[in-house]
Amino acid sequence: MYELGEAALKLATSEGAEEAEVYVQTNYSTSSDVRNNKIESAKEQKVEGIGIRAIINGSVGFASTNISSKVEEAVRRAVSSARVRENDPDWQALPSNSKYPKVRGIMDENIKFMELETSLELTNQMIKSVDELDGVDVTSGSFSRSYGKKLIMNTNGVNVFEEETLVSGFVDTIARASNPSHISTAYDFQISRNLDIDIHNIGKNAAQLALKSQNGESITSQKTDIILHPFAITDLLESSFVPSLNSDNVQKGRSSLKGKIGEKIGSEELSIIDSGLLDNGINTSICDDEGSASKETKIIENGIFNSYLYDSYTAGKDSTESTSNSTRSSYNMIPNIAPRNFILKYPQSNVVEETADGIYITSLIGAHTANSISGDFSVEARNAFTIKNGEISKPIKSVMISGNIFELLHKISGAGFDVRLVGGTVTPSIKLTDMKVIGS
Amino acid sequence: MSQIDFFDARIIEGTVTAITLDNGDVDDISVNFSQGASVRALCHGSWGFTSIEGEIELNNALDSAKELAYKMNSYSPKDKIELASIEDPKIGNLPTIKINPNDISIAEKVSLLKDIEKNARVNGVKSTSLMYAESQVKLEYTNSEGIDCEYESVRTGFAISAIASENDQYQVGRESRFGIHGYEIFDLHDAYDLAQNAGNTAVDLLSAKQPPGGTLPVILDPELAGVFVHEAVGHASEADLVQEGSSVLKGKIGESVASSIVNVIDDPTLHEYGYYPFDSEGAQAKKNNIIKDGVLNSFLHSRETAHELGGRPGNCRSQGYSTPIVRMSNTYIENGDSNFDEMVEMINDGIYLSGSRGGQVNTGEGIFQFNAEKGYLIENGEITDLLKNVSLSGNTLDILNNVELVGNDLKMHSGRCGKNGQLIPVADGSPHIFVSQALVGGD
Repeated sequence: MYELGEAALKLATSEGAEEAEVYVQTNYSTSSDVRNNKIESAKEQKVEGIGIRAIINGSVGFASTNISSKVEEAVRRAVSSARVRENDPDWQALPSNSKYPKVRGIMDENIKFMELETSLELTNQMIKSVDELDGVDVTSGSFSRSYGKKLIMNTNGVNVFEEETLVSGFVDTIARASNPSHISTAYDFQISRNLDIDIHNIGKNAAQLALKSQNGESITSQKTDIILHPFAITDLLESSFVPSLNSDNVQKGRSSLKGKIGEKIGSEELSIIDSGLLDNGINTSICDDEGSASKETKIIENGIFNSYLYDSYTAGKDSTESTSNSTRSSYNMIPNIAPRNFILKYPQSNVVEETADGIYITSLIGAHTANSISGDFSVEARNAFTIKNGEISKPIKSVMISGNIFELLHKISGAGFDVRLVGGTVTPSIKLTDMKVIGS
Repeated sequence: MSQIDFFDARIIEGTVTAITLDNGDVDDISVNFSQGASVRALCHGSWGFTSIEGEIELNNALDSAKELAYKMNSYSPKDKIELASIEDPKIGNLPTIKINPNDISIAEKVSLLKDIEKNARVNGVKSTSLMYAESQVKLEYTNSEGIDCEYESVRTGFAISAIASENDQYQVGRESRFGIHGYEIFDLHDAYDLAQNAGNTAVDLLSAKQPPGGTLPVILDPELAGVFVHEAVGHASEADLVQEGSSVLKGKIGESVASSIVNVIDDPTLHEYGYYPFDSEGAQAKKNNIIKDGVLNSFLHSRETAHELGGRPGNCRSQGYSTPIVRMSNTYIENGDSNFDEMVEMINDGIYLSGSRGGQVNTGEGIFQFNAEKGYLIENGEITDLLKNVSLSGNTLDILNNVELVGNDLKMHSGRCGKNGQLIPVADGSPHIFVSQALVGGD
């Protein structure tokens, strides 16, 4: 890995790059897939590749490959692409070598060395808990584990190597019914850096939820209190709020949060933190994907908007420091800006018990169709229930919620005790007051 | 391992180049060279899959897939899986590429894109982005039954988005064209005109009204009706979903599932974005009538589902080195005999929904949700106010049964479809359709 990286940097420099960076990624994963209550297949996947950024006069060229005999050609193409672009006076520099923090809980030897048999055993446990209940089946599911290594090197002295593991399980269930309109489906999933996921509960939760959702009733359109399960609030925030935090969108005039630093944008007790350092966090790492040391950033503090998310380039443009949010999903992707561990905080209480009349929504359909700039959304709720006198009452057949995320943030009035890791988002259930719902 | 009943391999080699412009300046230029393979082995009732990238050591990958299948079968023995038989595919009528994108320099491409971008900057537009991508892929398929075939494909396309803003309000206009073409994509489509349309849509939406919410009669334009037929009908007809019980169409072959004027087709042989001559199992691509005169006629199949449920294979596809699964290709509602003006007259009061911002569907319950790019109020048989944030949701079978008129102006749109984390190129389309009632989201 190191030799490959060193050689690529050297070639980029000799081709005329003023700065250069390599990102070398290896990932080995195995998974077992379930269909119709049975483990159907076992899979293994090996990914190995290199991404190169070359910089000339602030202009960046990118190339990537997984073929070792093509690395030199990729380096030359990165350099020649950098020459095609106009100079960018806003470019400062690639990150320099710095002191990196210690992070905890991102590498579990039990996952790295897990045998296929163990993995199949865990998959079996996941679906067995559905079998224990009558009238409900697993339609599909998967258990997977992965071990990855990454190396980031650049001509400013960055040289970072890190290993990580990940494990996840999901189950889709269907509750049978003789009348097709009474069929209901549900899902549950868990993801972790360590082998601490409650495998039995994934299946159980998904099975119980599908059963509870049967025979949904129609409701009328109204204004009411809503409680969003961590799945639903995460989905909504990712599509309608997170894009506006991206400093690149702000600088290009594509963010409703432009010019809003220091303003009140949410309820008084709402805080949102972005952290690359969270113990056991899905997006925890000693540095971001261009080698800036990970840190913690207060995005919203007690309702007041405090910071955008930056990488080294956009930070330079705003004369501030990177918040270490450079991210790539693969070696073949140009790094972009995305949250690390995105943590919602609000004083916790028994939100359902405290709600006299309202609606509980587990997940959403169509959140990605939201207007990512204005924050307008209109989504269909799934596995939704009425709340009466502090208790989950009856399933709802069909209900849509529509509104605007920037108005919604002011309507947050409660949070549950049920904090979940939904990928990189860490949140409890969130209660919203006076929301518009459309029944059918 | 003598217990291995079948194995196959897909070997893929590709180059992808992308250029993005942001507010007229080059944002990214990137190129990716890749190769890899995905191998499957079947042991009685269990599959083993191995995918590898970089230098291909096919025999090692094959051994590993066989071992996975063998171990799986010993751990959880299941009923034997049989595969529908296939013959060596005939590869004719491949799309022709007129201008190889490799023959045009990056500098020339950048200069054309910059000219296109200027057209999106109509008065009121505050920001633009433009993306161009080209890919060249060579795919080779081989299996233990002796089938061995290969083809190369070239795809190009561009997407333009324009953002207009005013008083903290932001609206987006988008246009995109992708196809199985070379650089002649810019001769086939007027990119300057499309860029201007994107700009105008964004500006017009700033003064658009919120739609009335509730159950209303609607007209869907070809793009949105195409998204509906793909998401709500096409996915529910994928035989793997039918098999696992995740489809409202399960057990309905031969039954009426739509108004009798509705015909739904999936055709990979059309020279549209979802084209392929043979699928990821080496099966010949063929046209499928999913719904014929309102009656459910056929599901889409892999070799495994075709044997189990009865049907023809040819719709098993994979992204890169992923596991092949049942997918659509070019999916559309066939032309009927009505025209748009008749529909507007017939609807009298309702909403015309146009363009798509995407959607999502629950095929098990047959429930969907889509957002239109824009809508228009129809009052007394006349198109009046422009509407923003219009969404459509409801029950797939209800909508299919409520189709009262099918237009004669079929148009296809290119896109990428996601399933099990795999994105593949597809096209979908429809003529205008009139639906007597649907749930519209809004104020």
